[in-house]
Amino acid sequence: MNKPALRTRRKSGPVQVADFAPESMIELRGVVKRFSNAAGEFTVLKGVDLTINRGEFVSIVGKSGSGKSTLLNMVTGIDHPTEGMAVVNGTDIYTGVTESQRSKWRGKNLGIVFQFFQLLPMLTLLENVMLPMDYVNLYDFDERPARAMELLKLVGLEKFANKLPVLVSTGQQQLAAIARAMACDPPLLVADEPTGNLDTRSADAIINLFEQFVSQGKTIVMVTHDPSLTSRTHRNIILSDGELINETISKSLPKLRHRHMLEFTKLAQERRYQPNETIISRDESVDYFFMIRKGEVEVILQDREKQEYVVSRLQPGEFFGEAELLRGGRSIGNVRAGSKPVETIVIPRADFVRVMNESPITVEAISKAVQKRLEAHKIEDHRTG
Amino acid sequence: MSTHLIELRNVSKTYSTAAGDFPALREVNLTIQAGEFIGIVGKSGAGKSTLLNMINGVDQLSSGEVIVNDNGNWISIHKMSEDQRALWRGKSMGVVYQSFQLLPMLSLIENITLPMDLSENFHPRRSRERAMELLKLVELEEHAEKLPAFISGGQQQRVAIARALANDPAILVADEPTGSLDSVTADHIFDVFEHLVSEQGKTIIMVTHDMGLAGKFSRNMTIADGELLNSETETSADRTIRRRK
Repeated sequence: MNKPALRTRRKSGPVQVADFAPESMIELRGVVKRFSNAAGEFTVLKGVDLTINRGEFVSIVGKSGSGKSTLLNMVTGIDHPTEGMAVVNGTDIYTGVTESQRSKWRGKNLGIVFQFFQLLPMLTLLENVMLPMDYVNLYDFDERPARAMELLKLVGLEKFANKLPVLVSTGQQQLAAIARAMACDPPLLVADEPTGNLDTRSADAIINLFEQFVSQGKTIVMVTHDPSLTSRTHRNIILSDGELINETISKSLPKLRHRHMLEFTKLAQERRYQPNETIISRDESVDYFFMIRKGEVEVILQDREKQEYVVSRLQPGEFFGEAELLRGGRSIGNVRAGSKPVETIVIPRADFVRVMNESPITVEAISKAVQKRLEAHKIEDHRTG
Repeated sequence: MSTHLIELRNVSKTYSTAAGDFPALREVNLTIQAGEFIGIVGKSGAGKSTLLNMINGVDQLSSGEVIVNDNGNWISIHKMSEDQRALWRGKSMGVVYQSFQLLPMLSLIENITLPMDLSENFHPRRSRERAMELLKLVELEEHAEKLPAFISGGQQQRVAIARALANDPAILVADEPTGSLDSVTADHIFDVFEHLVSEQGKTIIMVTHDMGLAGKFSRNMTIADGELLNSETETSADRTIRRRK
C-alpha cells in the first residue's frame, strides 16, 4: 500500500488529499466497519482496499449480507467507517468533517440512486429534478427549470415533466430519479440495485443511460444482483463476507463459489515477468495455477520436426498450468511472456487441487476452455488423466 | 355538528388504451365530513388509487365533479388550473404512499422541513421547530439528525407521515401506507392516524387491499370494479347481512 496521505487542511469543510493519483475517483484504504448490537459485535467490512478510476463503470455483487450496501455507504458518506479512510473525488470524506459539511460535499460530488426511487410525491417530475439544485444552490435560480427539463429530455420524460410521480410507471419514476441524481452534474453516480424493482425493458433503458453517462466521462458504481447488468460494466467487484475478491480470480474462474474465490484471494501470490521471459519450460514440473492479470502470454509447442509454434496467446482473465495440475505433472510446452511485461497471480498446486475437488463445475468449465484452445489448433492432449 | 369537507358527484374515470376504453371509476358519489377516518377497501385493480387521485386532484376525471370546502368556499378542484390545484393541494392535503419516498441524503428533520421550505409557509426557524414537533408526534425526535438508511421501514413511514403533515393540511390521503410493513408496525401507524383524527381533528382517507383493516376506520367502504358499494349507508353489520343472504 502507498504511504499515508499528505493533507492540506482547510479551515472548514472536507480535507483535500494531495497524494492520490489524479485518475482515481474512489480510494478506500483499510476500511473496516463494525456494528454492535445486543447479540454482540459484527464486522461487516474487514479491511477493504479498493481503487476505482475516473470513467470506470463498476458493478459490485455479493450475496445478501456480504456488505455491498455498507460498502456503498462508505463511498457516499451516508455511513462512516470504524477504521480506514475513504477518498472520493480527491477529498478525504471522513477526516475532520461534520455531517452537514459532508452533506454539502455529497450534493456537489455525488448522484445517488436507490432501488426505491424516493421522488417526492407532492412535486412534479420537473420539480423533483430541480430539488438538488435548490438544495446545494447550484445554477442560477432562473436557469434551474431549463436544466431540469434538459435532464428529463435526456431520460426521455420531457412529456411527463409536469406530472406527479404517481401518474407515471415505476420505470419512469426511476428514470426521473436518475435525472434528479444527475441534476448537479456530479462526476460520480452511485446506485444501489437501481433496477431491482423494474421489468427487463425498463432495466435495459436504465443501463443504456448509464453507458451513455460513462461515455461522457462519468464514473458509475452500482450494486446489483442482475447478471445482465454485470456483463455490461467494465469491472465486476465481488464482495464475500466483508472482503473483496481478487478481480483476476473472479474473471478467470467465474463459476467458482464466492467462498472459494475468497480462499484463493488469500492464497494468491503475485508473479511478474519481463517481455519474452519464460514462465514454464517444456517438461518442467508445474507447481502453480497461473491467472493473467496484465499482458499477453504465449503457449508454445514443438511439432514432430521440433519446430516451435505458438499454439495460443492468452489474455488477462485467462489461465494456464491447469492441465498439468489436474491431469499430469509436467508441461507439454513452453509458456512465455509476450512482447510486454506480464503480471500473473498464482495459486500453489495443493491448494488448487483441493478446491477443484470441491468444485466440479469449475473443473468442467476449465476443461471446456482448455479443450477449445486445443481444438482450435487440432492438438490432442496425450497426457493421461 | 359535522361539516362537509369533500363531495364527489358522479365521478367517472375512463382510461383509453390500445385494447379499448377501460372504466376505472363509475359514477362514484361520496360525501366526506371533517374529522372522519375513512377506509376504502378493495382488491388490486378495483379503482382505489384512481379514486384517491380524483380526490386529491392528481389525475383528471372523465366526468362528474369533486367539490371541496376551502374555508367555507366550495371549489370544484378539477376546474382549477394545474398551478392553482398544486397550490391548493400543497396547502390542504398531505399524501402518504406505500413506499416511503424520503430523500436518502437528507436527515429526518431535513426531510420534514423540506415541504415547509418549498411552500414558504413558515419562517425557516419556525419550520425547524415545527419539524421537531412533528417528529415528536411520531415518536422519532431522538433520531432527528439520522439519515433514513439508519432507521427501520416502519420508522421511515412515520417520518413520511410527519412530512405529509408539515404544512398542517386538514386532509391526509394515504395509499396503502401499511402495505410493506409487518402487522405490529402497521398497528403503530394506525395509532398515529387515530391520534391525528381524535386529537387534531384531521380528516384521513386511506385505501387498502387489506380487508382485515376494515374495522379500524370510523367509516369504511368497499370499492369493486370502479364502483363504491353502498357508500353512504351501509355499515359493516349491514354488509355481513347482505353477504349472508
